[in-house]
Amino acid sequence: MSNLLSVENLTMKFGGLTAIDDLSFDAKNNQITSIIGPNGAGKTTVFNCLTGFYKPTNGQMFLHKEDSKISLRKYTDFKIAYVAKVARTFQNIRLFPAMSVLENLLVAQHNELMVASGYSLFGLLNLKTYRDKEQLAVDKAKYWLDIIGLTHRADDNAGDLPYGDQRKLEIVRAMCIEPRLLCLDEPAAGLNPKESAELNKLLKFIKTEKQTGILLIEHDMSVVMGISDHVVVLNYGKKIFEGTADQTKNSKEVIEAYLGVDE
Amino acid sequence: MEKKDIIQSFKDSLFTGLIALALFGPIVGLRTVSKGEGLFITPQWGVVFLLVGLCILGRFLININSARRTEFKIFSTLSSKFSSVTEDKAKHFAITGILFAVVFPFLPFTDRYFMDVAIMILTYIMLGWGLNIVVGLAGLLDLGYVAFYAVGAYSYALIATTFGWSFWICLPLAGVFAAFFGILLGFPVLRLRGDYLAIVTLGFGEIIRIILINWYEVTNGPDGITGIPRPSFFGLPFKRSPDEGETSFHLFFNLEYSTMHRIIFLYYLILVLALITNYFTLKIRKLPVGRAWEALREDEIACKSLGVNPTNTKLTAFAIGAMFGGFAGSFFATRQAFISPESFTFIESAIIVAIVVLGGMGSQTGVVLASIFLIGITEMFRDLEQYRMIAFGGAMVLIMVFKPKGILANRKPTILMHGDKK
Repeated sequence: MSNLLSVENLTMKFGGLTAIDDLSFDAKNNQITSIIGPNGAGKTTVFNCLTGFYKPTNGQMFLHKEDSKISLRKYTDFKIAYVAKVARTFQNIRLFPAMSVLENLLVAQHNELMVASGYSLFGLLNLKTYRDKEQLAVDKAKYWLDIIGLTHRADDNAGDLPYGDQRKLEIVRAMCIEPRLLCLDEPAAGLNPKESAELNKLLKFIKTEKQTGILLIEHDMSVVMGISDHVVVLNYGKKIFEGTADQTKNSKEVIEAYLGVDE
Repeated sequence: MEKKDIIQSFKDSLFTGLIALALFGPIVGLRTVSKGEGLFITPQWGVVFLLVGLCILGRFLININSARRTEFKIFSTLSSKFSSVTEDKAKHFAITGILFAVVFPFLPFTDRYFMDVAIMILTYIMLGWGLNIVVGLAGLLDLGYVAFYAVGAYSYALIATTFGWSFWICLPLAGVFAAFFGILLGFPVLRLRGDYLAIVTLGFGEIIRIILINWYEVTNGPDGITGIPRPSFFGLPFKRSPDEGETSFHLFFNLEYSTMHRIIFLYYLILVLALITNYFTLKIRKLPVGRAWEALREDEIACKSLGVNPTNTKLTAFAIGAMFGGFAGSFFATRQAFISPESFTFIESAIIVAIVVLGGMGSQTGVVLASIFLIGITEMFRDLEQYRMIAFGGAMVLIMVFKPKGILANRKPTILMHGDKK
């Protein structure tokens, strides 16, 4: 399987604090790569560097595309999603709560729709070309809502959904931008066991059916061990272990990082 | 109702009375009168006690009502009457409203005064609708909206008096200028949100006003611009005796000359302009850019993570909102035939923001109701001179007590998957 993302010597310093220290790892296409580690290990900082919210102090991040590669450092802000097609979700859900579920999914297709509406001109004239494109966008939203079983609530406000459904909605909203890399920040936080199982199913579906690699930060070990193809363990900003889920479970360094060392 | 509750509400009311006393005491109680060579203080404690008493009584009634007992039903029925006006019914309301607005000038009781008030209310409705794009949809609290109103008015006045072009050429130009200033304001405030944005926009409003006062060569400073051409009815001026080679409106249609003709024309002009604003907003709300505005209001970081360009989105909101402010400004200039910086003070911005917020952020019908309510009430009490602002404040308090989210706070999705289910 080919490489999708390579992170090389990534370092992020906040003043005197080194949040990430010389981190390198790869993520592959159609695989789920998990980043785990105790609280404060720098997991979310890695995400913020990848998705353009922070500018790393040092190091490179490349997204591979057939035989070329693009540097994620060049893109900041909204361009990460727009040009590089890296999508993300957030640790504390960030939906548009006062907008309907369907509208949430349409905002994710903003850039295509904006072109289709002739930057609002065709839309104001209500041309057929725009209406057709809009219908396509609605169909795509419906496709994803069918998968997470929320089609019947498409017209309700996103903020009125139960917590578990909001998590799933945020993930499929990110999928609506057709990302090549999907970064999920603790998607299982606050979910009950049944919802976690559904989440696993959804992530496996995305991994196998879509041309998307998944990068996952997670504390819920049932999720991590159940679906990860590859695990990267961080502690104090450094990579302390890398391997398959089973290898990780039995690694002495990982157990030490989580539970401490016997004196 | 339990005794404990009553005592509690009574205590609370007395506390409210104390605050009212602290406010009204010096403001109303100590009145300065100039007699002969000096300034003397005439206390009027009677009025103060009356006002404080009213505050205590009002607070007491609200407290008792909020205890949800059946004895005092007045407030709850009143407030449920308001809530029954949902956005669904708003459509019928809108059609009735537009029909009423169209026939209004020909109703038997309509006189010059009514027409003037109606034109004023419509101007505020149009400004409210324009600001609704910025504040209601995009969620950018703009306290300097009057700046665009001023830019529109001055652009119109300067172009019309300098080049003598007709209203219909100057109007779009004024809109373009105002939109340009909207972008100009937009750039420095792109990173700001909430309180900080409000302060900077407030400053921007003042900057424009101060430039208008001090740039004497162009704006004629505090003296303002006089002799702004009146609009003509598609080339037919509203004059008793037209210039040679011209036909005026009443001669062309063979009518008796009346000053009301022009007033009625102005009324329809602002009505059409306001309706265009409304139509445009309703349309653009359902387009990707409109949805992006609302998404930006909800969560800017999420927007960025989905590839929505926040810079362009905010700038379009500022520009389009400002453009409608500019249109309203040129209407104001042509109606008054005279403008000066005094018409564009902060209080105007505050009134427009109040209309949008009290109407229910983002609700088009809400803006209409709030304008009629706020401006109408203030006008009704015009005889009380400066005390009419108490009526204005009272109207705001009433809305905030009964409808804390605005008169019409229901938002309807811009697109439905399952159609309307009733």
